[in-house]
Amino acid sequence: MRHKLNLVYHLQLGVMLAPYALGALVLIILPILLTFGLAFVDYYGFNTPHWVGLANLNWVLADPLEGVALGNSLYFLFWSVPLRMMAALLLALLLTRSQTGVGFYRAAVYLPTVMPEAVYALLWLWIVNPLYGPLNWILRGLGLPAPAWLADAATAKWVFVMMSVFQVGESFVVLIAGLKSIPLALYDAAVLDGATAWQSFWQITAPLLAPWFILLTFRDVIFSFQNTFTANLIMTRGDPYYATLFLPLLIYEEAFDHFRPGVSAVMLIFMFAVTAVLTALLYFVLPRFEMDHDL
Amino acid sequence: MKHFSKWKLGVWHGVASIISALYILPIFWMLANSLRRPGLPPPRSIEWLPNPAAWSNYPRLLELMPFGRYAFNSTVVAFGGVALTLLTASWAGFALAQFSQRWRRRWVGASIGLLVVPITALWLPRLVIYRYFNLLDGYGSLIAPAVMGTSPLFILLFYWAARRIPLEHFEAARLEGASAWQVWWQVMVPLSRATLLAVGTLAFVIYWGDFITPLLYLKSEELYTLPIALQQLYEMNHSNWPLMMAGAVLITFPPVVLFAIAQRYLLRDDLFAGFYER
Repeated sequence: MRHKLNLVYHLQLGVMLAPYALGALVLIILPILLTFGLAFVDYYGFNTPHWVGLANLNWVLADPLEGVALGNSLYFLFWSVPLRMMAALLLALLLTRSQTGVGFYRAAVYLPTVMPEAVYALLWLWIVNPLYGPLNWILRGLGLPAPAWLADAATAKWVFVMMSVFQVGESFVVLIAGLKSIPLALYDAAVLDGATAWQSFWQITAPLLAPWFILLTFRDVIFSFQNTFTANLIMTRGDPYYATLFLPLLIYEEAFDHFRPGVSAVMLIFMFAVTAVLTALLYFVLPRFEMDHDL
Repeated sequence: MKHFSKWKLGVWHGVASIISALYILPIFWMLANSLRRPGLPPPRSIEWLPNPAAWSNYPRLLELMPFGRYAFNSTVVAFGGVALTLLTASWAGFALAQFSQRWRRRWVGASIGLLVVPITALWLPRLVIYRYFNLLDGYGSLIAPAVMGTSPLFILLFYWAARRIPLEHFEAARLEGASAWQVWWQVMVPLSRATLLAVGTLAFVIYWGDFITPLLYLKSEELYTLPIALQQLYEMNHSNWPLMMAGAVLITFPPVVLFAIAQRYLLRDDLFAGFYER
């Protein structure tokens, strides 16, 4: 009787898990498989697809824009991810302590992260307006050079980098949780041993926070790869002269503006490949830090 | 934690205030700019607040476009998405927490794997799938991801919340003959209120601010949501900043208010405490 009850209960648990399991199957796993299928056929949304072999891949390799977009996205990653992670880390270190007022400061830092993307894009379009945007008021007021920002290919990408550094709420919150998970006794022991704050940071905080930081960095790379899209579409559409043409925008344009889903699918597979390499790295790098974690 | 001396505490407050101000500044500019009289030439020097402040941009929005209709659509999508997400994500997290260790590990690993799939990769194939299920050009295409709890991260958050509840609590209810749903409702829900509020807020931010999904899967103007309306406002007139900022303020208002209410739970230290647990 007891055993039967157990079985019924576990079947019920299975039913409660089913929406997630089936939903993920249809909305994540199946799309990935479909992408691989689309890459090898000519499908325009209404016709019967035909096998075209590597024609879509050849198109991608022949089109100079694909390389430009990939280069732009990697440039963005190269600057944005380290700056975002450093900002999140410094903010977390500053705002971890339990002190009156810390709730307000944390909320202020998180605020830009809850703004709707379209609003955030329009707001920055105004902020970096070279003639009457507030950023250049301030730069001129300080006697600094006031660049043309989005109108100039040399500075356009940096607007996207700046925007991304203000939206670090999620990493910030997770790093605070990481800092709080470090036992205070370790710091007390270090103080007794005569360690300075600087030594405590490098010998206790750094190694124990490393797994959190690395995991977040990988997540940030994957996230930043795609995060440019809404701002990209609203603010620049790739201008000036493709200086801000990022990969997600090109993938979108190929699929939905130029009706070349196959080409878009090939680019997505490239994106998967990069993601797969990063995930593999994650698996090889992390276990080594886990031992430190179990200290 | 050791205590700061008085002057160190002052320095800490000073630095934290300056950084907070930096993060609030863009939002302040949005508010200030929405109060500028329309048609006024753009300011030539630093202007913190327009003088006199004009509220006329807000009613003007309602004349220019069916703002109420768009707000209604956004509300339906956001509330539908949040309600469904809370149900399916907390069910999944609750169920996972009671699996054997072997299966827990597999599901948590699989969920982390799903978390790294780029969203960009889902736009086009989901179009094909939504067309098959006849969901295109309707609320269904905007809410569909809520069926799977919106994001594997939300399932993990509920899983961690359920793992923090001692298993005996579940067992006790179960031995009294309660079904899994009754245990979920009577034990899990009351003990995971903070996670419910936090995930609810995160999901609301996603569905309320969603720009890409309506852009990809909606055709009919009467189904447009607020972020699409804002883009239309920009396409209509690239230089009427006060009007656009008024629209931006209205759209930003609900998530910020919700965040202000929920931040105590969202910024709690233990929400992500299971983050590194394997």
